[in-house]
Amino acid sequence: MDNTMLDNTLLLLLIQLIPLLYILSTGLYGADFFRGTSFAKTYKQPALIITIVTHVAFIGFLTAPEGYRLNYSSSMIMNMVALTLGVVYMFIEFSTKTDKTGFFVLSFATGAQVLASFILSTSPEGGRVFSGIGIGIHLFSAIFSLSAIAIAGLYSFLYILLFRQIKNNSFGFLFENLPSLEVLEELIKHAVAFGFLFLTITILAGVIGTTQSSKVINLFDPKLIALLIMWLLYGVILFIRRLFGWDTIHTAYLLIALFACITGLVVLMSIFSPTFHGMSF
Amino acid sequence: MNIISVGVNHKTAPIEIRERVSLSEVQAKDFLTNLIDDSIAQEAMVLSTCNRTELYVVPGMPEVNGNYLKDYLISYRNVRNEVRPEHFFNRFGGNTARHLFEVASAIDSLILGEGQILGQVKDAYRVAVETQSAGILLTRLCHTAFSVAKKVKTKTRIMEGAVSVSYAAVELAQKIFSNLSMKKILLVGAGETGELAAKHMFQKNARNIVITNRTLSKAEALAEELGTNQVLPFETYKEHLHEFDIIITAVSTKDYALKEPELQKSMQQRRLKPVIILDLGLPRNVDPEIGKLKNMFLKDIDDLKHIIDKNLEMRRAELPKVQQIIDEELAGFGQWINTLKVRPTIVDLQSKFLEIKEKELERFRYKVSEEELRRMERLSDRILKKILHHPIKMLKAPVDTADSIPSKVNLVRNIFDLEEQNQLKS
Repeated sequence: MDNTMLDNTLLLLLIQLIPLLYILSTGLYGADFFRGTSFAKTYKQPALIITIVTHVAFIGFLTAPEGYRLNYSSSMIMNMVALTLGVVYMFIEFSTKTDKTGFFVLSFATGAQVLASFILSTSPEGGRVFSGIGIGIHLFSAIFSLSAIAIAGLYSFLYILLFRQIKNNSFGFLFENLPSLEVLEELIKHAVAFGFLFLTITILAGVIGTTQSSKVINLFDPKLIALLIMWLLYGVILFIRRLFGWDTIHTAYLLIALFACITGLVVLMSIFSPTFHGMSF
Repeated sequence: MNIISVGVNHKTAPIEIRERVSLSEVQAKDFLTNLIDDSIAQEAMVLSTCNRTELYVVPGMPEVNGNYLKDYLISYRNVRNEVRPEHFFNRFGGNTARHLFEVASAIDSLILGEGQILGQVKDAYRVAVETQSAGILLTRLCHTAFSVAKKVKTKTRIMEGAVSVSYAAVELAQKIFSNLSMKKILLVGAGETGELAAKHMFQKNARNIVITNRTLSKAEALAEELGTNQVLPFETYKEHLHEFDIIITAVSTKDYALKEPELQKSMQQRRLKPVIILDLGLPRNVDPEIGKLKNMFLKDIDDLKHIIDKNLEMRRAELPKVQQIIDEELAGFGQWINTLKVRPTIVDLQSKFLEIKEKELERFRYKVSEEELRRMERLSDRILKKILHHPIKMLKAPVDTADSIPSKVNLVRNIFDLEEQNQLKS
């Protein structure tokens, strides 16, 4: 990808349009959740579908010059995080028939997309495009891991809010509108299981990709260390659940902390150290 | 609109008075028959529930008014010493319609938005139909009231949320567990409160309900009624606590029926799977310390009242929407009443033109063939239809006030030279 991107009117238009679509979808989900607006209830799902389809088309246009291969850049990672969050949330909504958590998940997706579009419009230089199936799987599964971690963190946050409301007898707005604790717990469990699966794939694909490549990666790269810690903790959570039962409330606190750490780390590293595990090209 | 409503309800009279004037279905039928047979009413309906006894009457004689009907009901029930006219409310015309719409949509109920009243209004109408005391006006009034209630139910949240302790318990359980049919429920105490809670749980698809009670036969009877047929002896039920996701207690005890060590042990056996205990007993049946256990939700009656208060507040906030629906339907009903007043003129108009048509066709009956006559008849019908369309449309058109109806009617009658109308009812 090069500066010719900025010459492409359609791409420029989409860079501006996609965050607006995310904001619109999030706004509609928010209006339905907080105000019960019938207009928002009717149009929130079509808006999300349009957003996702447009975003997929945008990624297609963006990666077309490089043979539809993703590059390693902050904007691309943020773009993909927003897209996968949107897709995963839509899957959750269709499969669980629960449409009351969209505002919370999509808010994060919107944040990621706004950041992605901002980076892309201010610094259109793309990152390095990687060849090879191993590194492709590594990148994809890392993005899905991030989305699973985000969803686990967001649903954990909602779980704690509802749990506290019920415990404290404050049967207010969230009590009325959020799905049951059991549904939220199931969503967290699935997010953790998928998170662990994708983190494992990320690590395995990364190891295979590195052994096949002549390049040397920095083993002390914070992203790499964070990835391993995350994988370990997610594994421990699943292991504890199978052996000793599931103390959701404490697990939820841990998942929120992990989500906050990884988000902060990704954002900081994307801005201050946008290299692929310290690899020089 | 000549329709009167009088009655006693929870807003106008205490229960001692309400129970004096209430009418059973048999009594209501007899009462309505008397009203019609004595020509006191052209149409009549009685709505009698635990919170109200109300009459809706289209008078049959000029002297029949609200006071007359109050007196008639007091005499009929023979309660002149206890019940006075001041215990009654009295409405007339549009206010009667508004009152019935408010009653049917449950905003006039003791518990705002309660779900039973619409069925009771429908029953009252059925009784009126069976006694042939429901005419065109009451039928239209009742059907509009049913339509109002349906709109209120679907377009507002006035009937949403639990407003009784046992329903609040179910609502809370559903906020913790998504599907009650997958949960095992223990009911400790088969008294009235426990029974109500178990029935509400059953309505929400809970099927795995186990009942324990000091008197085992009572537990067995309730289990049979619910169709679950699962009971546990009161002496040994605590050994099974870990098996249950929801525990409802409603027993009379001096000491706590469930104590913290028992539940602590059961939670260990459950490997921290959440439990909700709904303590519906008074005095409380469950040690409050149990609420501090991990993944344990303990709620007593006071806690559940928070849900009820919140739901009532939410229902009250819906009142303006309900009033708007009632206002709209009331306007439509008023327009329909107005069309009743122009109906005789429309009938006269149509008769007059038909008469002209037939006279004119008669002149040609033997001058043309049958086929030609039929064609002429069809042509005349089409012309008449087109000529009458506008005057009829004008007569039926909405008016700002009922006062403008006579002038409109008179105009049409004069233009088309219709015979004088006997009376134009106001």
